[in-house]
Amino acid sequence: MKNYQNAEVYEKVTGRAVYGADLNFPGMLVGKVLRSPHPHGKILKIDTSRAQRIPGVIDVITGKDLQQKHYGIAIPDEEPLATEKVRYMGDEVAAVAARGLNAAREALEAIEVEYHPLTAVNTPEEALQTGAPSLHQDFPGNLTWERYLERGDMKKAFEDADVVVEDSFSIPAVNQAYLEPVSCVAIADRYHGVTIHTSLQSPHMNRNIIAGVLGLPPSRLRIVCPYMGGGFGGKVFGNQKAYILASLLSMRTGQPVKIQLTREEEFIAGRPMPEAWLKLKMALKKDGTFLGRQSDILIDNGAYSAQMPFVSKTLSERNDSLYHIPNLYTRARLVYTNRVPTGQYRAYGNQVANFAYESLIDLAAQKIGMDPLQIRLKNCIRQGDVSVHGLKMRSCALPEALETAAREIGWKQRRPVNRGVGLACCIHTNGNTAAFRGFSGASASARLEEDGRVTIITGEQDYGQGTHSTFAQIAARVLDIPPDWIIIHSKDTATTPFSLGAFACRQLTIGGNAVRIAAENLKKKIKETAGKQLENLKHENTENLELKAGKLVTATGKAVPLEKVARQGMYANQGMPLVADGYYEPPETTAADESGYGHISATYSFAAHAIEVEVDPETGEVTPLRLVAVHDSGEIINQLVSEGQVYGGVSQGYGYARMEGYLFREGEVLNPGFHVYHIPTSLDMPPVKPIFLENKDPVGPFGAKGIGEIVQVPSIAAYVNAIADASGARVTELPASPEKVFFALNKGKKEGEAR
Amino acid sequence: MTYINATTIAQALGALREQKGKARVIAGGTDLYLQQLPEILVDISGIDKMRQIQITGEILELGSGITHAQTFASSLLQERATCLSEACSYVGSPQIRNLGTLGGNVVNAAPAADAAVGLVTMDARAILVDCEGGNKEAPLEELYQGYNRTTLDNSREILMALKFTVHHPGEGSSYQRFSSRKSLSLPIVSVGAWAKVKDKQISGVRLVAAPLNPSPTRLRRVEKELEGAFASPETYRKAGELAREEAVTRDSPLRGSGEYRRHLVGVGVERALREAVYRAMGIPSEEKAGDYYQ
Amino acid sequence: MTTINKQRINLKVNGEEWEGWLDPRENLLKVLREEIGLTGTKEGCGRGDCGACTVLLEDKAVNSCLVPVGKAHGKNITTIEGLSRGEELHPLQEAFVKEGAVQCGFCTPGMIMSAYALLKINQQPSSYAVKKAISGNLCRCTGYTQIEKAVLAAAAKISESGN
Repeated sequence: MKNYQNAEVYEKVTGRAVYGADLNFPGMLVGKVLRSPHPHGKILKIDTSRAQRIPGVIDVITGKDLQQKHYGIAIPDEEPLATEKVRYMGDEVAAVAARGLNAAREALEAIEVEYHPLTAVNTPEEALQTGAPSLHQDFPGNLTWERYLERGDMKKAFEDADVVVEDSFSIPAVNQAYLEPVSCVAIADRYHGVTIHTSLQSPHMNRNIIAGVLGLPPSRLRIVCPYMGGGFGGKVFGNQKAYILASLLSMRTGQPVKIQLTREEEFIAGRPMPEAWLKLKMALKKDGTFLGRQSDILIDNGAYSAQMPFVSKTLSERNDSLYHIPNLYTRARLVYTNRVPTGQYRAYGNQVANFAYESLIDLAAQKIGMDPLQIRLKNCIRQGDVSVHGLKMRSCALPEALETAAREIGWKQRRPVNRGVGLACCIHTNGNTAAFRGFSGASASARLEEDGRVTIITGEQDYGQGTHSTFAQIAARVLDIPPDWIIIHSKDTATTPFSLGAFACRQLTIGGNAVRIAAENLKKKIKETAGKQLENLKHENTENLELKAGKLVTATGKAVPLEKVARQGMYANQGMPLVADGYYEPPETTAADESGYGHISATYSFAAHAIEVEVDPETGEVTPLRLVAVHDSGEIINQLVSEGQVYGGVSQGYGYARMEGYLFREGEVLNPGFHVYHIPTSLDMPPVKPIFLENKDPVGPFGAKGIGEIVQVPSIAAYVNAIADASGARVTELPASPEKVFFALNKGKKEGEAR
Repeated sequence: MTYINATTIAQALGALREQKGKARVIAGGTDLYLQQLPEILVDISGIDKMRQIQITGEILELGSGITHAQTFASSLLQERATCLSEACSYVGSPQIRNLGTLGGNVVNAAPAADAAVGLVTMDARAILVDCEGGNKEAPLEELYQGYNRTTLDNSREILMALKFTVHHPGEGSSYQRFSSRKSLSLPIVSVGAWAKVKDKQISGVRLVAAPLNPSPTRLRRVEKELEGAFASPETYRKAGELAREEAVTRDSPLRGSGEYRRHLVGVGVERALREAVYRAMGIPSEEKAGDYYQ
Repeated sequence: MTTINKQRINLKVNGEEWEGWLDPRENLLKVLREEIGLTGTKEGCGRGDCGACTVLLEDKAVNSCLVPVGKAHGKNITTIEGLSRGEELHPLQEAFVKEGAVQCGFCTPGMIMSAYALLKINQQPSSYAVKKAISGNLCRCTGYTQIEKAVLAAAAKISESGN
């Protein structure tokens, strides 16, 4: 059972699985979006008359036609189509619906827009300068969001310090690069409202936002999800403009409308992880004790906010709970710029800060002549601890993870010149009370079909990370039936409970527990029903009934197949099958207070990654030799799935560290495509060894914890730390490309010169 | 018919002549297809004669319709035109290598084109025919005319074959490439080297680097300095230094700073020259373009 | 207005003859998906940079998004749909399932086709040969390790049964 995969995998290997782009409906029109060529400008005039006359063009809309109010995830700073201004190159200005792609493209070319270009701000620094042009009326200084996070007395910490270490780090904007570009079909009808066929990680949350924009009650917007070709956070909210515009076009034309993003649009108008700059300063004792850390963080919001204030919150606080750091002073600022609006990517900002903090710790270790492993072991958070922000470590195997990673990579081994090892560790939540205002748990229904099979109904999403399989395993374990008897029904907001979906690494712990409870409640119901309905069981004590291998078994050995119970129960209920609901609220969690203090997740996952590299000093090229990824994700329910998460997450972390990153020139994305934005290929990856410390968690279903997001994080700092160990070259600006390593080696910062 | 799959050279030329300048030649299409496709296309990838490797004595004629994959797979070319074989092994991806032809690589004239560097290192000559019955042969370098342009008129002329002398005993070549990742990338810098060694002295050498200019660049000054030099680490290092002086590189936001790329030219020349000399002398090399699978 | 000229195109797809009247410049990927209805082959980038659209053209793995359908006229094309017969899967497909090589599944058809092309010419590939054969197929979910295991397992299975 530990390697169980449900039969959906067969749909994928045969090419039968239907993704958004594969959908076709009778009378379907093709929708296309016209985007701004300017990073900042006033819209003076839009003339769509020529476009409307093109044969095959059914509808053309602009912001003025829509009279839509502003919306947003955190801040209502967006409109479906720009009305007064455009704020980045790619900003949506008009949309068309036509018969066929050629007509749609022609229509776009025929729309005449007159712009008055405005001065653009290209970086947060520029945007914050006095007198800089402002993007949004409500934010005259372009400062979208700001936070001061203080604990203890940082000033005193600096006074008490034996050693102070400081450095500046930067990390570029990074694209989720899922292989399936966003594709949606919107179908409006007067009875149902609007149905949008598109794959989303959080269909319900997204539904409510989009329904608000469309002026529909949420129950009149239905989201039906085909298979998803990767999401990694980028499809939690996805491309809301696409869904909104397709819906509006369908509502206006009365026909289904499909909008499919090109890969280039995914780069210029998707929501990548933000570019960020971190100025850090740490105070320590000469025995390695961390006294305090001061951080000044600048985050590029891009032109619109979306979920960035939430991401910025995680970015600015998460890593403080990885170690005991009693004194903190963090200033984090999120700033509007005339660039691609930013969003979320696996780990939600955790990785951005982790790269910088874990690099700085190595620099600190170097400064006091301490082993980077030992300095971490000395200060790291442990089982039972409460972190400086109030996170309670119900289960924590972080020290063991660090030691295991170090041991497996051969930490103490003598190595030839130019070879080295690096290490980094990480903490992540399993759900987050900040995720949604109404509740932070999950619910599910378990339904016994008349043939004894079981359907689990939940809104939690599987897009290849194995949610459906693990849920089936959980329910199968409770009910003692084969997992293949279970189907997960999740892809339709009209028939599933409101679920928060796949983000904050919550689905296994929280969603999985809801499934477990629903299955347990179903088990109770099955026993009760059997006791009431079945002649031969009427006098049996239902307490002594057991579910064994798909049968109901009495203490005396009488066995009744589930099928029989199901059918009798259904008939007794006039046709209603046996259904049981399960609700799960993560225990003891609290919302964070104004100062950011609170046990925001029921439990936390940990990881330590170590990598061995060889540096070619002549060119700065780095050969990754092997990587060890040690994870504390509690008991592992599914080995194959968990390993897959590690291999995949590490490849993303490696890409982040080595080759990825948006290149901008005055607001223009210079690398909006896979030929110029490089992600790792099969030839780039080193051998990866995943190790799971199966340290049973008291909260998670069967002792399991989430693993899906944390996998990307520690590889990034481990890589730059390894380069420093191998060659002395310290790269503080990602990506650590060969050129950067070369110059760090030959000109710039060498280890031992840390200030 | 606006897409003509020619099976013979005569048919292809005839089609071009008939269309009076409105048709264009397409080979693999992997470059052309990313640009605006012309209305009328004459596909020459099905002409068997243009995919042949013909060797007469020491002169090899490579049909320009040969794909990168076929070039890479030929054991004759691996042994006796090594830098070309290696260059082709890096182009794009297996899928691109199965479609893209050497002729297309030359005619598309991308400054970073791999096969072109391999060909210039082999001192290849281009054989062209036109639809009026004319034909000409010229050094490959003379074909280039600015960024992504050659003198070839795609509506009238076909690049038929590339012609070069294969390695004699005492000759060897190598291709060195630096790129941002190990597949699906253009090179940041690539270098081809061919060397002739007699009595441990370099009696002939060709060094080519890209992308420095619109076309592969012969480092002629370095070549001159190397004549008669002893095959030694000092020589390879010196070659690298001289190359750095001769190469002119610009900053490129996508590829890297001019300074770094100039440095890489030096490293590439040093390594390619050393490898070429080793091969010329029959010294077993540690380097391999990789498991030949196709 | 762009002129569109159509001509008769004959393709042999997965062993079946298909005929259509098309603009020969239309790309093969679009024709497979929209004209012939074989949506198993995916579009990830439209430029030959990701390999999601990989099919076999006369036994060679190619990016179908870069092939004008006129070029494919008269030729044999194999897509992912051609590997299985009803419930009977090709050893590659079985191995991908068994090794956990499939997560979101979007790269999977193209990935399997590249592996299929490899096994046609090299029945006992080394680990490196497998990596190289799939080096034109991007995957963002799996990090490639389980995919490589699957291809090697399939190769072993095929050799075993003397296929």
